[in-house]
Amino acid sequence: MVNTKIKETVRALLVEGKIRGFLGLRGENGHIMPHLFCDPQELESLSLGDWKKAGDSRYPLNQILIRLAMEYPEETFAVLVRGCDERGLRELFKWKQLDEEKVIPIGIGCPDELAKVCECEKPFPDGLIDGPRGEKTGSQKVARINEMGLDARFKFWLAEFNRCVKCFGCRNVCPMCFCNECTLEEEFLVGKGEVPPDNPTFHLVRAMHMVGRCIDCGLCEEACPADIPLRTLYKKIADIVSEEFGYKTGYSVDEKSPLNIIEVK
Amino acid sequence: MAKKRLAVLQKLLEFSGINPERLRMRWVSSAEAVEFVHEISEFAEEIKKLGTNPLKEKDAA
Repeated sequence: MVNTKIKETVRALLVEGKIRGFLGLRGENGHIMPHLFCDPQELESLSLGDWKKAGDSRYPLNQILIRLAMEYPEETFAVLVRGCDERGLRELFKWKQLDEEKVIPIGIGCPDELAKVCECEKPFPDGLIDGPRGEKTGSQKVARINEMGLDARFKFWLAEFNRCVKCFGCRNVCPMCFCNECTLEEEFLVGKGEVPPDNPTFHLVRAMHMVGRCIDCGLCEEACPADIPLRTLYKKIADIVSEEFGYKTGYSVDEKSPLNIIEVK
Repeated sequence: MAKKRLAVLQKLLEFSGINPERLRMRWVSSAEAVEFVHEISEFAEEIKKLGTNPLKEKDAA
């Protein structure tokens, strides 16, 4: 079982005192939630986030890790990572949101079922401890919109965006949204008390901020109460970044994202 | 940086159903009045050819 190998690895790290805690998931009272395991005995309740379906209980663990690291800057933590979370960690290290020396990733590969639902480019981390090394799945959802004409695309997106209730769930759950100040809260750009927000501007602004940042975890779309296909939008962003700059977000440990480099020519 | 952002935004607009030709960037100094007039006039012509912006129709509806 995948679970056992992960448990053993974490237990060893805890017993040897190499980490202060392991940020993972715990099953308790029929729910799965994030938990910081500090005592090896607690590991019995470790969960990998599969409740009713594979990976249906995922959380932005890296986002929680950033807060932990702020509170305990001297401590080292291990964290459960899927392929997307590993990509996220790399970008967060490059942006100095986390210290690479203080983070030990514990990698699990995603089951095929989840990889397919996610249309994931790489459903496993390079630092794979257990789980499958799944196949890459191209995005049919992006392809479908690419095939539409301009007018059809406009109507499609406007109808999707106009269901927005401006709950900010997509931004709040995002493990890559770490800015202290957010454009989407600037009153002169986004009027208060207006639902839906000014579309497509509101969602395209967020999309632009995902350039070289989105690691395609899909939590935004999961969090959205209006089922707006945000992931499809950001997957397109990833395609554009790849075409324009040859950059794939989260794949390199040292190459910085294109909008993070000012080139002087 | 602006050039990079513009390249991405044009493709994003296209994916969202807005003609990317509605967005253009040029560098014109304040000392180049002739150049400025030329750019703006040409762009205005281009925009007229493209017709009404779907965003405007959206606001009217």
